[in-house]
Amino acid sequence: MSRVGIEAMNVFGGTAVLDVMQLARHRDLDLARLNNLLMKEKTVALPFEDPVTFGANAARPLLDRMSDEEKGRIELLITCTESGFDFSKSASTYLHDQLGLSRNVRMFELKQACYAGTAGLQMACNFILANTSPGAKALVIATDISRYILEDGADVAAQDWAYAEPSGGAGAVALLVSDTPHVFQLDVGASGTYGYEVMDTCRPAPDSEAGDVDLSLMSYLDCCEQAYRAYAAKVEGADYRDTFQYLAFHTPFGGMVKGAHRTMMRKVAKAKGAEIAADFERRVLPGLGYCGRVGNIMGATVFLSLASTICNGAYPDPRRVGLFSYGSGCCSEFYSGVVTPDGASRLRGMGVEDHLDARYRLSLDEYDQLLRESAFVRVGTRDTVVNQDFADRTAPGTAGASPRLVLRAIKEFHREYAWID
Amino acid sequence: MTKDKTFTLITEAVREILPELADRDLSESDTLDALGANSMDRAEIVMTVLEEMDLDIPLVETHGPQNLGELAQHLSDTAAAKAR
Repeated sequence: MSRVGIEAMNVFGGTAVLDVMQLARHRDLDLARLNNLLMKEKTVALPFEDPVTFGANAARPLLDRMSDEEKGRIELLITCTESGFDFSKSASTYLHDQLGLSRNVRMFELKQACYAGTAGLQMACNFILANTSPGAKALVIATDISRYILEDGADVAAQDWAYAEPSGGAGAVALLVSDTPHVFQLDVGASGTYGYEVMDTCRPAPDSEAGDVDLSLMSYLDCCEQAYRAYAAKVEGADYRDTFQYLAFHTPFGGMVKGAHRTMMRKVAKAKGAEIAADFERRVLPGLGYCGRVGNIMGATVFLSLASTICNGAYPDPRRVGLFSYGSGCCSEFYSGVVTPDGASRLRGMGVEDHLDARYRLSLDEYDQLLRESAFVRVGTRDTVVNQDFADRTAPGTAGASPRLVLRAIKEFHREYAWID
Repeated sequence: MTKDKTFTLITEAVREILPELADRDLSESDTLDALGANSMDRAEIVMTVLEEMDLDIPLVETHGPQNLGELAQHLSDTAAAKAR
């Protein structure tokens, strides 16, 4: 048995979104520089949203489409995140509860910066391939949020993160992994990994991010080349230009992917200017659409790009997609799989685009108010009642939308959630 | 490769990636950031110089220098160490 991959997947890009160009004008950022990011909107996590609510809201529509019997075959639950809020208790325990999964499930949380999602997918695929429980399924939930908490008296434009703010998003992608990979069939064994210790970006303390933009970009570019070379060494006849009809990248922001693709085409495929630009439009751009509407969602970003590639690409016959995943610190992987016309139509049926369109558009006043009022729940909070001010405003306007999970309160460190319509 | 020759390669790469600087004199104390290079431009300038020097090292090993002069010194030293 070697059929394995993604049976079904869904994207949750939040309930509130901010126009990036408006933000840039407001912050007095260089607009030309901002255009290079290829970002339109970014999802903003609201006070009652955390990695669990994002993850649950991505997974729920998948489970609602399954019979009880099928759900009972989910025997592995991996939550992939760098936004965890407990060093011991995993986010999977909350997700397992909120999603009503069987108690006979192996569950844990997985961390490796933005590579976590790919690590989770590959572990799940190996669990299926090992055939230790024939017919079993795995649920992989990649979920991450970025939050910019303004400290008192902070001069926003002068902060290091001035250009990181417009690209930092929040969101989750849920993957149902099984031996019936309708949406994305993994090329088993076709993978190249590359990793080494580097201090590029990290989260060394609760609610804070630290990093060196230049070092991270350089490491990303090194890995992009080396992971592909490791893939090519394993896969006979692999050709960067011809083997993959589409390429989906981990996308911190679109401009970075554009640069990485240009570098790869020049160095590996020996291509020149005009050909590179046409290739970018054809093979890469379809995968940047959703990323430019949600922002960087770390461990889930490569799947957001895959979903965008599938929904915005053309699949008159089966097409191979090459994926590049990078997580700071660092570990990276280039791997591939096949999307069929049926798979593309199944994913389009999840209505990701409609969901992204339906998000509440925050005004800058609302956004700044959210940043300044410290309404956000910090990691380590023992007791609190969570501010629900935006819950009504962001309620889905469309009938038939799935219920969504919100964080209501924390009591003795225990997070209490509720599903609302 | 001498530091001076490496510096010349760097100035050529800067003008190739940032054509608007064609007529500007570049000095060793200039920084790529102040010259208007964004992070991707900065990486591409370094990649171009490495190619011209035929120096095959990870980009992360070029990280650290604070201005064009320091970058020239670093790349020149790295090339010399590699040739040994």
